[in-house]
Amino acid sequence: MPSSPDAALRATLDWLRRQPSLRYAEVRFVDTLGERLRVRDGRPEQVTAEASRGVGIRVLGEKAWGFACSADTGEAALVAAAGRAVAIARASGAVARAPVSFPEQGASRGTYATKLAIDPFAVPLEDKLAALDAPVRALRAGDARLASAEAWMDWTRQDKRLLSTEGTDVTQSLTFGACGMHVFARGDDGASQRRSYPTWQGGDGFQGGWERVGALDLGAHADRVKDEALALLVAPPCPAGPRTLLLESSQVALQIHESCGHPTELDRVLGSEISLAGGSFLQPHLLGSLRYGSPLVTLVADAMSPGGNGTFGWDDEGVPAGTHPLVDRGLFVDYLSSRETAAALGRASTGTMRADGWNRPPIIRMVNVSLDPGAAGSLEDLVADTDDGVLVATDKSWSIDDLRLNFQFSCEVAWEIRRGKRTRLLRNPFYTGITPRFWGSCDAVCGPDEWRLWGVSTCGKGDPIQSMHVGHGAAPARFRDVTMGSAS
Amino acid sequence: MSELLSLCREVLSEAGEAEAEIYVSLAERGCARFAGGELGQHMQLSEPQAAIRVAHGRQVAETVTSRLDREALVRAVHDTARAARLVPEVEGFPGFAEAGAETGEVPPRYAEATAAATPEERVARLAPALDAIRAAGLVSAGMLETSRASHAVATTRGCARSHDATIASFRVWALETPGAGGAAGYGGHLHRDVRALRVEEEAERAMRTCKASLRPASLDEGTYDVVMEPEAVTELLEWLAMIAFGAPEVEQGTSPVAGRLGERITGEAIDLVEEPGDATDLGFGAPFDREGTPRSRVTLVEKGVARAILYDRTYAARLGAASTGSALLPPGGIGPTSLAMGAGTAASADELLSDVDRGLYVCRLHYVNGLLEPRRAVMTGLTRDGCFLVEKGRIARPVGNMRMTDSFLEGLARCDGMTRARKAVPTWWSDAGAFVAPAIRIRALRFNGRSQEGWQQGGGYTEQVVPGPQSC
Repeated sequence: MPSSPDAALRATLDWLRRQPSLRYAEVRFVDTLGERLRVRDGRPEQVTAEASRGVGIRVLGEKAWGFACSADTGEAALVAAAGRAVAIARASGAVARAPVSFPEQGASRGTYATKLAIDPFAVPLEDKLAALDAPVRALRAGDARLASAEAWMDWTRQDKRLLSTEGTDVTQSLTFGACGMHVFARGDDGASQRRSYPTWQGGDGFQGGWERVGALDLGAHADRVKDEALALLVAPPCPAGPRTLLLESSQVALQIHESCGHPTELDRVLGSEISLAGGSFLQPHLLGSLRYGSPLVTLVADAMSPGGNGTFGWDDEGVPAGTHPLVDRGLFVDYLSSRETAAALGRASTGTMRADGWNRPPIIRMVNVSLDPGAAGSLEDLVADTDDGVLVATDKSWSIDDLRLNFQFSCEVAWEIRRGKRTRLLRNPFYTGITPRFWGSCDAVCGPDEWRLWGVSTCGKGDPIQSMHVGHGAAPARFRDVTMGSAS
Repeated sequence: MSELLSLCREVLSEAGEAEAEIYVSLAERGCARFAGGELGQHMQLSEPQAAIRVAHGRQVAETVTSRLDREALVRAVHDTARAARLVPEVEGFPGFAEAGAETGEVPPRYAEATAAATPEERVARLAPALDAIRAAGLVSAGMLETSRASHAVATTRGCARSHDATIASFRVWALETPGAGGAAGYGGHLHRDVRALRVEEEAERAMRTCKASLRPASLDEGTYDVVMEPEAVTELLEWLAMIAFGAPEVEQGTSPVAGRLGERITGEAIDLVEEPGDATDLGFGAPFDREGTPRSRVTLVEKGVARAILYDRTYAARLGAASTGSALLPPGGIGPTSLAMGAGTAASADELLSDVDRGLYVCRLHYVNGLLEPRRAVMTGLTRDGCFLVEKGRIARPVGNMRMTDSFLEGLARCDGMTRARKAVPTWWSDAGAFVAPAIRIRALRFNGRSQEGWQQGGGYTEQVVPGPQSC
């Protein structure tokens, strides 16, 4: 881990402690390294190294918050930034009607680091590019209709240290990765079909090292992926109407993300995110009484799963990582929360405040929000147990309303299921529904062997927008009476 | 010469690489974000960024860093040079930009009052609007931002450009509830000069829309003639910009323009122009791109016919065209930053409504996605912050939010009315400027869902579809 500007951070915190009007202050140093590699059609489309380093300072005055930041990590610059944060808190406090409620918390201390076998930043660049080039060539080979192929690999290491006036002093080193590929097949009519592996670009994240790339084995999947892309060119469109719907696990993950993860964010619920994302239908009076889903649906916010994109030691206001059920056997029971928002409901924070870098304040973010596995066996067991339905895989588009009720997803591929067997391929499927009705129709979840922890690496939230790593564990699941259609 | 441009040249000189490019930007943003009537997030944000590229022949690598001190930048150039030697060649890479022609007269983009705005001044501008919304019995949310940004780019081939800009923006919601849905109204304005921001007027507009949206009815799915305000139109234009006009998407074959240049792709009423040099209050953004190429005015769609696409230097060289100055900042890509839809002749949105027998008036759209079937520009999204049933040319009543799913280009082929007045609406990717659109009328747009079907605020979910107080 690179050294943090220890003395300057402590001096800044000492300066903040001397400000009589402050109730709380935190100083957060963040040093981020990144690498973005993209190979398209045999040429490098992107070879980018990234570095970002600075300090964010959040203070709570008598009534209101202030935030300021500095890329210069010297003491004079940090004290100046602290002064700006104090001035902002004072200016906002002058028009505040009531002071922010922010319960005290004991000091957190310690270190946390992602467990990894092979440091991805120590792997030679040419090895990484070769690992992308070979599958791209395989995806393009054998048929002129395979018009374009791309493979990508992203690495991010975020080292951060949080000091607060409560005595918190935690140091964390998180290593995120993502890797995948896709191919576009183009028909004579100009129509284009995409197939991806392991899932859509942006949904393939994890915490870990280079060993995860080997486990993905892109090359071994190239033939299947391009065969499906070609087959989709001549497949019929997905028929419209209510159907029994089977989702493969990465699509369940995105369904969780949009229709459970975001609406359980308590800042959205209380109206703090209207200026970009919207509110939430999961209002406090429904806590403990709303039937969110069927009894098979248990959704857990877990910041401790090894390898999860949403795993850490402490959140960015010093709350230790934990595990909290959000939906327990269908019943809505808890929120993703912060110290301030939880206090508004008389509850304790579930430890989800994170910022995407040194120059943004922390906001409530998903951790790993996951669906517990069920007892429906394997995906093929689930198919065999379905008389008439449609299995869809790999997200293509996503949309949900500002209360997180009405959603619509389109996917790359669908298979019709008749009498327990996959029959014909269907193109451009989409499905749409209303969140509690949809999860209420869940009548099967596959078992632990099918459960996989997926990672969304670009979850957007906040204003100005912040991009975050979050995780979702899921197994394939079945839903009844879902409205489907085709975008063709 | 700007300080940043001097820095760029000094770094290139000291690093001594034969073929290198450095783009540096430094933004200082003051963001007063409010919700529930309180300033919950008031922030000063620094956004320093240097994007360095080094080439050895056609081998190219890039480094993006927040550290703008000279020593760190020189080190980054050397690191990038080492990486460039390890990567395969980029087909068609023509080298970095040369000195080239001047960008011409730079349109006004800077106001000292915005650059110097303090937290106290932002609060003072906001307070009356928050008070007014509270006095109306409504809840406020939104943000007032004052920002200044400096940009500079230099290459070892002699290109050297710099630019300073300011942006003041105000976005405001007036709400029936803080976060639980219900009636909502939106107002927004963008200007380089904070003194010109229409804070009170836009707050008033948000309150007016919110009050008119109380007690919505539930409307059936189906096709409706629609009048959209500029904020709704630009949501769709943003997605069209992402999928349609960049050379990579055209080369890949996923763009609706791919293989169709010179053909009619939408209605005869539609002109779409990348217009970065707009010198009016509708213009924002730098006059050059991250490669130092002057941003060109490009007619993308003329009377419904696809005329051109956008390039950076590499795609232009490979595809036999000239760069249009459309290289985007990291993470990169090629696309419009100042897309403008042509104006019509209607005096107002009311005039557009007057020729709607039964339809919808849509103030904004939410969570649009244009990846369903990009070749046809099929998009889906929901209404937000004001959706009204129109009967016999007049607004009849508010309706609950609706989901639209249709081809935007095919929809624009059914556009038969646009206002003379247009509005600049900020794009959500912060550095990319603003898109400009009039209010428009589209016939027979397809709506396939209601956003809160079966949901009763305060009562949870019921199995039966619950019609609104006055089912239409």
